[in-house]
Amino acid sequence: MATNSNAANRWRSTLRGRVMLAAGVLTLWGIAIEARLVNLQVARYDEFVERAERQQSRSIKTNPKRGEILDREGRVLAYSVEADTVVAFPTDVADPSETVRQLCEQLGCDSDQTALLQTRLGRDRQFAYVRRHVSVNVAKRVRDLDLKGIGLIKEDRRFYPNKELASHLIGYVGIDNQGLHGLESRYDEEMKGSPGRVQIQVDARGRTFSRVERPPTTGMSLGLTIDKYLQHIAERELRATVLEHKAAGGSVVVMDPHTGDILALANEPTFNPNAFSLWQSDVRRNRATQDVYEPGSTFKIVTASAALEEQVFRPDDVIDVSPGVIYFGGRPIRDIGSYGVLSFADVIVKSSNVGASKIGVELGAERLGRYVRRFGFGQAFARDFSGQSRGIVREVSGLTDSSLARMSMGYSISVTPLQMAVAMNAVANGGELMAPRLVAELRGEDNSSEIPQRVIRRAITRDTASTLTRIMEDVVSRGTARNARLAGYTVAGKTGTAEKIVNGRYSDTRHIASFVGFVPSTKPVLTILVVVDDVARFGGTVAAPAFKRIAEASLRHLAIPPTVDAPPPILVSPGFPEGPRVGPYSVAGLGSMPGPGVMPDLQGRSARIALAVATDLGLSSRLNGHGFVVAQTPQPGQAIARGQELTVWLERRGVADDASRLMP
Amino acid sequence: MSRLDLDFDVKRDIHNSPIIREIDKSRQRELRRSLFVGVCLVAVVLFSAWQHFQLLRHGYEIDELEKQRTVELELNRQLRLEVETLRAPGRIERIATDVLNLTRPSGSDAQIIERVAPVPPPDRSVLAERETNVMGEHQP
Repeated sequence: MATNSNAANRWRSTLRGRVMLAAGVLTLWGIAIEARLVNLQVARYDEFVERAERQQSRSIKTNPKRGEILDREGRVLAYSVEADTVVAFPTDVADPSETVRQLCEQLGCDSDQTALLQTRLGRDRQFAYVRRHVSVNVAKRVRDLDLKGIGLIKEDRRFYPNKELASHLIGYVGIDNQGLHGLESRYDEEMKGSPGRVQIQVDARGRTFSRVERPPTTGMSLGLTIDKYLQHIAERELRATVLEHKAAGGSVVVMDPHTGDILALANEPTFNPNAFSLWQSDVRRNRATQDVYEPGSTFKIVTASAALEEQVFRPDDVIDVSPGVIYFGGRPIRDIGSYGVLSFADVIVKSSNVGASKIGVELGAERLGRYVRRFGFGQAFARDFSGQSRGIVREVSGLTDSSLARMSMGYSISVTPLQMAVAMNAVANGGELMAPRLVAELRGEDNSSEIPQRVIRRAITRDTASTLTRIMEDVVSRGTARNARLAGYTVAGKTGTAEKIVNGRYSDTRHIASFVGFVPSTKPVLTILVVVDDVARFGGTVAAPAFKRIAEASLRHLAIPPTVDAPPPILVSPGFPEGPRVGPYSVAGLGSMPGPGVMPDLQGRSARIALAVATDLGLSSRLNGHGFVVAQTPQPGQAIARGQELTVWLERRGVADDASRLMP
Repeated sequence: MSRLDLDFDVKRDIHNSPIIREIDKSRQRELRRSLFVGVCLVAVVLFSAWQHFQLLRHGYEIDELEKQRTVELELNRQLRLEVETLRAPGRIERIATDVLNLTRPSGSDAQIIERVAPVPPPDRSVLAERETNVMGEHQP
């Protein structure tokens, strides 16, 4: 029994020892774990949190969308979309030489670009650009290469869908979307927006989860006063004129005389802002606001305004301009021939230099100088153009009779084409000098601000403007600008031919030909200035025909009815949707519109108009084909109810009478 | 010492059938209550877990939809740019003149007719209204 008792005690003590050992081991194990946890979660907390942040989440900058540039009807002139950029992570590139070789096969690098790429990929850097803003096809080819350390990221790229259209006005941006020229530069702060920030987190399965910390702010859009189609007309006709006369260049300015809105402003030569670096900086210059020229006879309007306003001359006063030459300080001022005795009005109509000089001298330097300032010469008040010139206007105190005489006929003074157009605007609108306006509105996501029209001052009285208009109508009807006559419209304007300075002397053969006028003169809608640089002929034969073509096409585009022998107006139902402003179809057709509940005749109308009519009448539409409506159901004159279906059949006719119908 | 070492073994049946085990209703009630609370607790835990995972799932879905939306918006912008490029007047005119052999209209080809919308008559005659007012003023 004792033996049994001892054995049991031994067993117990052995067991106790083992239990104690196990408990000790477990305790130590627990302490070790706790210690490790304390070390990880307390002592090295910050380090691990930072490492986890680095591994699981990253914050990236999101680029803002640059604001758009729109014409007066909201049509896009400048727009940003995303483009692919090929980037490299050089530390991940295993074989830079082979990577560069494969990349260059797809990107098409020259030797310099290959060497540059080799250098970039060979550096111990985290990030390097390979090629920015590549095409979709190139991006796809690079993606298919699946090269280690090479990737594609999205970046915004600026596009100008109309290419050369209004390029001098709009300007362009650099590779980082920074405005470099034109409105892009002038309104860069407003248009560029501010970047946002996005937090991207990666979970244990590698799935990404993003959270917007700060959304990017889209830049403001610019609403311009430009009409895209008038701009196209101006550029087309200017280019044709420059090519026809082998001129060095030229400018056209089209303005609304009542508001000062610039409807079109064209320069030649021009450039494509999508690839601006291919053109010399000289071509990219906005000649209409940056270049100055001696206006020649177009400036006689200012001289005549001052003489009439100051009552120094009346329109019927006679001026002896024989024998066609006059000397001031030994320097001759000549007319083309001897006109004998002319009335004040005919001095302008026939553009007599001798007569204008006499008027100027009679006025005196102080009075003429005052009107030069009143018409805005020597001042830069167009806020939307950067780098615009003020022109060159001499101080009146330093003017001799010779200088005064020459200034009266448009020499010894330099102006920009825009200044000349603004001055003519003042005559057209009855005497008020309107500040030229190019940007009408700044449109933001939440707020918009309109830039108001601005009257700078009254330059002349309404009576003087009216008298000048009559004189300028005569210039077109029987004077030097007969090539500017327009069937159905009264035109007022003035030609100008200034001799160019070649090798420090006025050339007899090289001229700056110009014409400035407004139409219809009885109720002006457009002021148009055409300046053609370096031609052998005169304003009346070079610039006046260009004016006529621009005016004709522009009036048709704006559907301005004739002022001479106009057809009787038609009565349209109030509230009927406006048709396209071009062509006779929409205008003539509107007269036959029946009342509500009756199907109108849509034949000859575009699909867009048919849809607009159907929407207004509450009909659902079905269009078959392309072009203009040739048949319809319900038939014209049938009773219709809201919700009924309108089916129209469209055909593209072989019409050759109106190319502009193809325009939307 | 096992039972086989004994010389005899007395077996006696023990009858416990007369013993009635009384049902403890309060304990049962307590049990049910505890069970109910336990189920509720489990349900709450399960619900909150379900909610958590749903939240995560929806988060991923929203993220995916946001990405899709961004892609679609960008596609929309690309298409708008394409439309504007196709609408460029220079391009249209080139097609019209070079491809379709259309010519530009001259001044006499198009006739612009002025449209005049009739002025709607006023709801009430302004003159009559004025006269009424004047008469009203003069009435004693």
